[in-house]
Amino acid sequence: MTKIVVVTSGKGGVGKTTTSASFATGLALKGHKTVVIDFDVGLRNLDLIMGCERRVVYDFVNVIQGEANLNQALIRDKQVDALYILAASQTRDKEALKQEGVERVLNELAGMGFEYIVCDSPAGIETGALMAMHYADEALVVTNPEVSSVRDSDRILGLLSSRTRRAIEGREPVKEHLLITRYNPNRVQDGQMLSLQDIQDILRIPLIGVIPESEAVLQASNQGVPAIHLQGTDVSEAYKDVVDRFLGQDRPLRFIEAQKPSLLKRLFAR
Amino acid sequence: MRTSAASITRIDIRHGQLPLVVARLRGSDIDALLRDLDHRYGDASGFFENEPLLLDFSDWAESEPASTALQQQALLQALRRAGLRPLAYQAAPVTWQPVLDAAGLLATESHGAHGMRLPAERTESPPPPPAPAMPQASASALVVDRPLRSGQQVYARGRDLVVLAMVNPGAEVIADGHVHVYAPLRGRAIAGARGQADARIFALALEAELVAIAGLYRTAETPWPDEVRGRPAQVRLQREGDGERLLFEPLV
Repeated sequence: MTKIVVVTSGKGGVGKTTTSASFATGLALKGHKTVVIDFDVGLRNLDLIMGCERRVVYDFVNVIQGEANLNQALIRDKQVDALYILAASQTRDKEALKQEGVERVLNELAGMGFEYIVCDSPAGIETGALMAMHYADEALVVTNPEVSSVRDSDRILGLLSSRTRRAIEGREPVKEHLLITRYNPNRVQDGQMLSLQDIQDILRIPLIGVIPESEAVLQASNQGVPAIHLQGTDVSEAYKDVVDRFLGQDRPLRFIEAQKPSLLKRLFAR
Repeated sequence: MRTSAASITRIDIRHGQLPLVVARLRGSDIDALLRDLDHRYGDASGFFENEPLLLDFSDWAESEPASTALQQQALLQALRRAGLRPLAYQAAPVTWQPVLDAAGLLATESHGAHGMRLPAERTESPPPPPAPAMPQASASALVVDRPLRSGQQVYARGRDLVVLAMVNPGAEVIADGHVHVYAPLRGRAIAGARGQADARIFALALEAELVAIAGLYRTAETPWPDEVRGRPAQVRLQREGDGERLLFEPLV
């Protein structure tokens, strides 16, 4: 059984692509055959974050339009065996994503024995985002602890419950998971960021994880390495927890308590 | 060819009734009127769905300045664009009648105090009953039991609306009758959308961005009174001298 998971948010720059890369990598590290697809046609980023931008010959749109087959377009990850990447086109626009074409590609991937298809949604609520979510079975809704991001995630949750195939066909709804990224407990304590409670009060969907704000994320994306590979960092640990919870294991929430800076640190911070 | 019974006819005419919306025109400044129309309904496409409309001129004073035929056409077009279908008029000034008649509108009897004479031959056909602005609240309420999220809108046409889950910021609940929200109300709530002044808004936790009753609205820019904010509350219209104001009351 193939599961299609969309990583979506509405708002841009909240960490969808970072999450898609790390989440797909995490699933593959657990031995599940996984493909991650970049739906952000025209603004491709996933291949950069996955560090395979120089190996892109054919892309998702080429496959949809029949100019290449899937085997030609799928890029095998160099570090993780069970992981494949389908890059977005840099030169086309989102109108190239036709529903029948997307469905055909997803069916073909299912036929190739992929267990998980991770769809990295573009920001916004236009064609690209709607296509990325249309065939989803589950959704990771990526939200930052700030009002506008929460509002946009709320909008996306509304679309997930009305515009996806599961909703249209009246089947069991898309399973929604809330993933809070860029969470900084110290800034929450100071009232600069919304708390977990504030966010869940509005969105009211199960929380699958909290990714702390960290410079490691920037470092990882500049190096073209999914953040989950940065052993020993909070971000890597937090993403591993997310993957475990997604696969049904119980993991306590981490990295959500404010750290009191030591007296020395406070003195030197001046 | 003969049918079995002579009583069966190909056409059967019987008495019927049509719910109408009524547009009361307040004064003949058509440009200002068009601006108001655009302001209130311009961005709510689909608010009206091809609804039959009675144009009511009975608020006009005798001395209203005359409008040009062009302005008159523009008004009809704007109403059609808003999704209304002008079907009839009443108490129209004589200068308006040619354009209205040419557009196929039916003249109906004036109920206003100042009787504009209507052409006698027009009154032969039975005029549609002057429907109240608000259809009778006989229809049962529309019940919504899923959360309404940012960007979602529910409109209970001609009836009450009952929402059992939260209404989030950016969502909109609209009813021609009352609006009940048995959960936090954080979005916009509009009761009495067609002018029914006795409509009310009820919420289990009033945290709305905006409340409106019969067109009178208030936003959360001025915070809701302490005794209702975040608590079970109702909002209703209270008559006060000439005007009306929104009254916020806690529900015990």
